[in-house]
Amino acid sequence: MKKLTGITLVIVLGVLGLVVSQSLYIVSEKEQVIITQFGEPIGEAITEPGLNLKIPFLHTANYFEKRYLEWDGDPNQVPTKDKVFIFVDTYARWQITDPLKYFQTLGDEQGAQARLDDILDGEARNAVAGHDLAELIRSTNREPAQQEDIADIVNDSLQVISVGRDQIQEQIQQLANERAKDLGIAVLDFRFKRINYAEEVRRTVYDRMISERNRIADKFRSEGQGEASRINGEKERELLRIQSEAFRSAETIRGRADAQAAAIYNAAYNKSASARSLYNFVKSMEAYTSTIDKETSLIISTNSEFYKYLNAIDN
Amino acid sequence: MAQEPNFEFNLPPQFEQITKNIRSIAIGFIALLMIFSSFYTVETEEVGVITRFGEYVSKAQPGLNFKIPFIDKVQYVPVRRQLKDEFGYRTTSAGVNSTYRKAGYGGESLMLTGDLNLADVEWVVQYRIDDPYNYLFKVRNPDETLRDISETAMRQIVGDRTVDEVITIGRAEVASEAELIIQKICDEYELGIKIEQLVLQDVNPPDPVKPSFNGVNQAQQQRETLINQARADYNRVIPRAAGEAEQTIQQAEGYALNRVNTSEGEVSRFNDLYLEYIKAPEITKTRIFLETMEEILPKMGQKIITDEEGNSVIPLLQLQMSGAKTTSSNNNGGN
Repeated sequence: MKKLTGITLVIVLGVLGLVVSQSLYIVSEKEQVIITQFGEPIGEAITEPGLNLKIPFLHTANYFEKRYLEWDGDPNQVPTKDKVFIFVDTYARWQITDPLKYFQTLGDEQGAQARLDDILDGEARNAVAGHDLAELIRSTNREPAQQEDIADIVNDSLQVISVGRDQIQEQIQQLANERAKDLGIAVLDFRFKRINYAEEVRRTVYDRMISERNRIADKFRSEGQGEASRINGEKERELLRIQSEAFRSAETIRGRADAQAAAIYNAAYNKSASARSLYNFVKSMEAYTSTIDKETSLIISTNSEFYKYLNAIDN
Repeated sequence: MAQEPNFEFNLPPQFEQITKNIRSIAIGFIALLMIFSSFYTVETEEVGVITRFGEYVSKAQPGLNFKIPFIDKVQYVPVRRQLKDEFGYRTTSAGVNSTYRKAGYGGESLMLTGDLNLADVEWVVQYRIDDPYNYLFKVRNPDETLRDISETAMRQIVGDRTVDEVITIGRAEVASEAELIIQKICDEYELGIKIEQLVLQDVNPPDPVKPSFNGVNQAQQQRETLINQARADYNRVIPRAAGEAEQTIQQAEGYALNRVNTSEGEVSRFNDLYLEYIKAPEITKTRIFLETMEEILPKMGQKIITDEEGNSVIPLLQLQMSGAKTTSSNNNGGN
């Protein structure tokens, strides 16, 4: 009897456990649940986390993610509108917004990812093919801050955009959401992760970059030579200016002094006939003093004034 | 619970005794398990996030904590640890001399710039989990999501700048703007992550283009050299010329002073003489003449005195004295 009660107890406990575990289910913070009865959804989705009750065995709990889910695009080689082949790698974040619809139309996440591939890859491809490369890369027509020397060369390679990366991303997201609205999911964000040139294009881009750099380098060199020449020219001009100005000043000073001296002399020597006569006489005497030395011979005529003086002295 | 019946069915006939033992063993085992699962330790850099039946209840701070066994669950989130995400390279061993590996991560770092050129941008995002609830429950794969966000944000910023800007003057701005965008998207996704810092590492032109970029630097240096040489030349010549000009002018000033002073001196002497001269002109002249003669005659070589008829000998004398200065007093009169 004791043996029997033990076994019964165990069996009863086991069955009870099974029933309890079948009638209770846990909804975690990350999940939402739809209860189905033989595959038929019953009621609204349970999105609040916690412990819940259901009819055991009859009802099945189907769990769905409540979090942002990732979608990663297949890196695709696509030509842009201006015929540049680029690799486009995209990503998106999406969420199950209507678990019921989601459950009915997509079933599980694998199905959802496959549909998202169709929708987003398609829209991304269309968007890339419908826009120039610059539109996919730039977001604004922002004026680049640049070193002025390089600016004018580089600026001509900047294209003005009318749509821009941000808007294209948003457009793709909108279009995708329109197509996904009956699927119970919402694309919350769509972005281009990587955009890169296809291999052959990359080589021509490198060539272009190299030639652009060479142009800049040439410009620097010629600027250097030009500037050096300018400084040299300035130097020559400055030199001539300084020298000629000095000459002019010096000559002016000298001229003024000469004039002053002349005025002084004139005032003294020219004031009367006798002053003039005295000056002539004194100057002749000075001339004798300065011209005569021991190499000079003197021939004195007996008629000359000097001889008379000498004679007078002798006598 | 459901396992117990199975367990007992497989038992041999000494059933009763073992059941008794099993009971105490099981109770002891369960009691131990309950004690062990009631206490848990949260490390200093973590917080524990407690969920009860899947529902978030509270956060547990570092230290020893208690929870309801089997019902409460703890997840540990390292909120105080600074985490980092590297792009374009990986640190293979951190330390005093860290080593890095770049091969194979070119896809992360190579990106298009606004002028449709290519740049190789390597960066690291340092972040912290600041909201463990969001981090755990709002986004699946938050780490992968952060990587995606970082890559797209960096490309968006670089895509709006020229390659020169990215490589040279715009570096700091690229880092700060990208950081802002990453944080903005993180907040939008409720990722529970706080970006502490975004640091740009090597930002280079792609390898095939590097030499020509260096060429530009060289050309820039050459330009500076040429200009500096010209300036040096200028500085060598011009100040010296200015000094020389000053010298010329000073010399002229000197000349002027000399000229005026001389003239004034001479005139002063003359005037004084003149004053006396007017008083006795004839005798003054004679005196001066004779004084002059007295002074100069001793200095002369030959002195020859002839009469009127003797003029014919002069040519002969001149022959004899060729090379010597000849002064005739014939044309010099005392009056």
